[in-house]
Amino acid sequence: MGAGRAVSISLDGVRDKNLMQLKKLNSVLFPVRYNDKYYADALASGEFTKLAYYNDICVGSIACRIEKKEGGSIRVYIMTLGVLAPYRGLGIGTKLLNHVIELSHKQNIGEIYLHVQTNNEDAISFYKKFGFEITETIKNYYTNITPPDCYVVTKYIGGESQSKK
Amino acid sequence: MGASLPPKEANLFKLIVKSYETKQYKKGLKAADAILKKFPDHGETLSMKGLTLNCMDRKQEAYELVRLGLKNDLKSHVCWHVYGLLYRSDREYREAIKCYRNALRIDPDNIEILRDLSLLQAQMRDLAGFVETRQQLLTLKPNHRMNWIGFAVSHHLNSNASKAIDILEAYEGTLEDDYPPESERCEHGEMLLYKISLLEECGLLEKALKELRKREFKIVDKLSYKEEEVSLLVKLNSFEEGEKLYRVLLTMNPDNYQYYEGLQKCVGLPSKTGQYSSDEIDNLDALYKSLAEQYTWSSAVKRIPLDFLDGGKFRDAADNYIRPLLTKGVPSLFSDLSPLYDHPGKANILEKLVLGLEDSLKKTGGYPEKSEKEPPSTLMWTLFYLAQHYDRRGQYDVALAKIEEAIQHTPTVIDLYSVKSKILKHAGDFASAASLADEARGMDLADRYVNSQCVKRMLQADQVSLAEKTAVLFTKDGDQHNNLHDMQCMWYELASGESYFRQNDLGRALKKYLAVEKHYADITEDQFDFHSYCLRKMTLRAYIQMLRFQDRLHAHAYFRKAAAGAIRCYIKLYDSPPTSSTEEDDELAKMPASQKKKLRQKQRKAEARAKKEAEVKNEEANAGGASKYGKRNVKAVDPDPHGEKLLQVEDPLMEAGKYLKLLQKHSPDHLETHLLSFEVNIRKQKILLALQALKHLVQLDAENPDTHRCLIRFFHKVASRPVPTSDTEKLISGVVEAERPTFSQLQGKSLMEANTIFLEQHKDSLMHRASVAEMMYCLEPNKKAEAITLIQDSPNNPVSSNKSLGSVKQWKLKDCVAVHKILISTFDDQNAALRWKKRCGEEFPYSTYFEGSLCSTQTKTSKAENGGIQNGKVEKLEGGMKNLAI
Repeated sequence: MGAGRAVSISLDGVRDKNLMQLKKLNSVLFPVRYNDKYYADALASGEFTKLAYYNDICVGSIACRIEKKEGGSIRVYIMTLGVLAPYRGLGIGTKLLNHVIELSHKQNIGEIYLHVQTNNEDAISFYKKFGFEITETIKNYYTNITPPDCYVVTKYIGGESQSKK
Repeated sequence: MGASLPPKEANLFKLIVKSYETKQYKKGLKAADAILKKFPDHGETLSMKGLTLNCMDRKQEAYELVRLGLKNDLKSHVCWHVYGLLYRSDREYREAIKCYRNALRIDPDNIEILRDLSLLQAQMRDLAGFVETRQQLLTLKPNHRMNWIGFAVSHHLNSNASKAIDILEAYEGTLEDDYPPESERCEHGEMLLYKISLLEECGLLEKALKELRKREFKIVDKLSYKEEEVSLLVKLNSFEEGEKLYRVLLTMNPDNYQYYEGLQKCVGLPSKTGQYSSDEIDNLDALYKSLAEQYTWSSAVKRIPLDFLDGGKFRDAADNYIRPLLTKGVPSLFSDLSPLYDHPGKANILEKLVLGLEDSLKKTGGYPEKSEKEPPSTLMWTLFYLAQHYDRRGQYDVALAKIEEAIQHTPTVIDLYSVKSKILKHAGDFASAASLADEARGMDLADRYVNSQCVKRMLQADQVSLAEKTAVLFTKDGDQHNNLHDMQCMWYELASGESYFRQNDLGRALKKYLAVEKHYADITEDQFDFHSYCLRKMTLRAYIQMLRFQDRLHAHAYFRKAAAGAIRCYIKLYDSPPTSSTEEDDELAKMPASQKKKLRQKQRKAEARAKKEAEVKNEEANAGGASKYGKRNVKAVDPDPHGEKLLQVEDPLMEAGKYLKLLQKHSPDHLETHLLSFEVNIRKQKILLALQALKHLVQLDAENPDTHRCLIRFFHKVASRPVPTSDTEKLISGVVEAERPTFSQLQGKSLMEANTIFLEQHKDSLMHRASVAEMMYCLEPNKKAEAITLIQDSPNNPVSSNKSLGSVKQWKLKDCVAVHKILISTFDDQNAALRWKKRCGEEFPYSTYFEGSLCSTQTKTSKAENGGIQNGKVEKLEGGMKNLAI
C-alpha cells in the first residue's frame, strides 16, 4: 500500500490518441488479442470505457460496450476489466467498476452484465461484492481454454422496472 | 516632394506616398498612373510607382521604374531614397547605404533618410558611421528622447562606453525634477539600469553603486535592481553585504543556481574550480544544510551538495536525494544526476546505492531500513534509472535487461520505450531503436516530443521518407514540408542532411545543410526591426545583449554542423564528381530489359507527380496572391526540391570556401574547422593556407590522430612536389622550409620516424594506430600488409572497473566503423575489412553495421510487434481479475 502517502488514482477517457495504452494493457492482462471491433465498441461507449492512472501511470482499464435490447432499452456489457499485476489490491479495480455502476445509474441504465470463466472464483466474489449475481451458465463458451464454460454475471440497477427472464 | 508638379498632381503625389505608408497599394498605383498620364517622365512619380509595385511582388518592373525615375531626376533625394528602400527590401544593405548617402548629399537634413540610414548602419555594424548619423539626428532634433538614447547607444556599440555615459547624463540634465510621469516610469527605470551597467562596464564600480542606490525609487524592475546591486558589491569585495543580499535573493527564488554560486563566493567558498579541501567541504556541507532548512521547497539546495561531497557523505546525500524522487516518479532523475558520472568514484557509489534500493524493493517492497512499503511504481522507476545508468557506462546488455524488466513490470510507461530505444541506438542497432521510438510514439499520438524523437531515430536509421511522413504529423495542414522549413526546424534538417550524406545523396544533403545556413542568415536579418523598436521602447540592456548574441550567432553548434556538413559534401563532390547523364544511360543499358522498363516507368511517374504538385502549388500561390493583393504571403515553388542543381556547381571547393570562412571566423577553437580547412586547401593546392590550418591543428591538439594525419600528409605532399621554378613557388618552398623546424614532432626526424614515434606514444589507442597505419601506407605503399596488421593487432583492453556485472572495453563503436571504412577505402582490402567486421560483430553484438549476432537485422523474424491486432475470433475473458485481492 501507499503507506500513508497521498497517492492519486484518476480515471481518463480513451481516445484515438491514447488508444495504444489500452492495447498495451490488454496485451499483458489477457491471453487474447482483441480485434478492431472491440476497440471500436470501446471508443463508442464513451464515458463507459476508462483508463485508470496511478501516480500518472496508466495501470488499469475498464472497457464496455453499449448494447440495445429488444424494445429499445439499453444495457452495458463489460468487455474487460483489468489492473496490472503490481498495482492490484490498491482499490483501482473497485474505482473503475464503481465508475461504470454510478454512470449507469445516472443514465437510468438498468442492467450491467459480463462473462466470467466458471473457475474464476476471485472474480466472481469480486463482482458479488458490487451486487452482481450469476444469472446464467453457458456451456462451451470458450474454445481453447479449460474449463470452457462461463457464467453470465449481471447487476440490475433500480430493480422494479426490470423483469428477469 | 513632387514640387515640380502643378497643384492637382502634387496632391495626387502626396496620395501615392500616403497610400504606400498605409499599404493601399492599388490606390497608390492609380494615383501614380494619373500623374504619369500628363507627365510621363516625372522621376519621383516613376520611382514611387516602382516602390509600390515592389510591394505587390512585381520586382522586375519595380527595379526598372525606380531606375528610370532616378535617371529622369538624378537631383531628387526622393528618387535616391526610394532606390535605397528598394535595395533594403531585398536585403542589399550595402547598396542601400550608398543610395541613402546620395540622397543625403542632396538633402543633408532629411530626418527620415537619416533615421533609415542609421538603422542600416546598426544592422551592418558600420559603427563609426552609426555614431555620425546618430549625432546628426540629435543635432537636428535635440528635444527627442530617442535621439539622445540612440546617440548614447551608438557610442557604446562603438566601444566608447564612457562617452555613452556622458550623453545619458547630459540627457538627464534636460529632464525636470518630477520626471518621469507615471506612464514613463518603466522606460526611465530601464534607461537608468542601462546607464549603471555602462558604469559597471567602465569599471566605475563605486560610482555605479552610488548611482544605483540614489535612483532606487525610480527603478521599477526591482529584481534587476537587486541583481545589479549584488554584482557590484561582489566586485567591490563587500562580501558581507553581498552575502546578505544573496540570501534575500534566495528567498525570492531558491532554485537559482547563480545565487548559490554568488553566495559561496561571498562566504569564501567560490565554486569556480570545483576543487575543495576537506575543510572547505565541511564548511560547504554545513552551509547547505542550514540553507536546506530555510528553503525546504528548493531542489537546487538538495542537488548542489552532490557536486562537492565525496565518499560516504556523498553516498548518504545521494541516498536522501534519490529516494523521494524514485517514489514520486521523476523520469528526469538520471539526466539530473548524469553530470556526476564524469567522476568515476561517484558513478560506482551510485551504482551500488541504487542496486541496493532495487534489491530491497524486490525483497520487502520498501527501501532498506524502512518498514513502510513503497508504491509499486517505485521499483519500476528504479529499474528505469538503472537501465540508464548501465547505458551510460556502456554496459548495454545489462541496460537492456533492466529496461526489459521495467517494461514487464509496467508496460504502459512511454519513457521506458524511449530509453530502450536510446540504449539500442548507443549499442548500434539503429533499426530497432527506430521501431521502439515508433512504438513509444504510438502510445501518445498527441505528444510532439515522442514524435520528434521518433523522427530523429528514423533518420539515424536512414529511413528518410518514413521520418518525413512522421514529422509532418505535427506540422500545420497544407504545405507540409515547407512548414518544417518555415519553423526553422533545424534538428530535423541536420539529421536528414546527415542521413542523405551517409546514403551518398549529396544533392539532398546539401539542400538540407544549406537550409540551416539560411536560417542563420534569417536570424541575423531578424534583428533589423529591433534597431528602431528597442530605442523607442527603451529595452536597452536587452537590445545590447541581443546585438552581442547576434555577433556570435554563427558560433552556434547547429550552424557549425551545417557548415561542416556542407563543406564535406563539396569535398566529396570534388573528389568524385557526379556521373553525367550519359554515364547514367550507360548504366541503364547494362540493366536487363524488364528492370529498365520498370525504372523508366518509375521515373516517368515521379516526374508526372512532381509536375502536378508544382502546378497545384503554383495555382494555390496565384489564388492567394489574387485574393490578398499586394501582401507577401505568396510562396515561390522550389525549383530544385532535390538539390540536383546544387550538384552542378562549377567549383565545389570555392563553394566550400564560403562556409569555411564563416567557420574560421566564428569557430576558430574547433579542431574540425581546421581539419576542413586543411582538406579544402590541400585540394586547392594552396600550400600556405594548408600549412596555416596545420599549425592551428597542432596548436589545438597535437596528439589528435587527425592532426597527425594532416602533419604527415602535408610534409609528404610538399616533399613530392616538383622543384620550384617560379618565384612564387620558390617563396612558398622557402616558407615551408622555414616552418618545418617549428614542428617539434619532426625535428631531426624523417616522416617515417615521426610516424613510428607517434605510434609508440599511443600504441594502445585504436584510432591512433589507424592513423599511423594509414600514414605508413601513404609514405611507403609497399608496407601495406604491415600497416593492416598494425590495425588488426590493436588491443581492446577493458577499461578499469570494479564491478561484478561485466566490464566495459575501450573501443568505441563509432571508431570501429571508421576503421572499417578506412580498410575499405584507403587500403582497398576486402578481406581485411571482412575480418574486421567479423571481429567487431563480436565486440558489438547489437551493431547493425557489423551485423552482430543480437542486432535486429539478424533476429527480426522472432520479434513480435507489440500492440498489433490479430483478426482471430474474439474471446471474452476476465483473466486480469484472477489475482485481484479483495
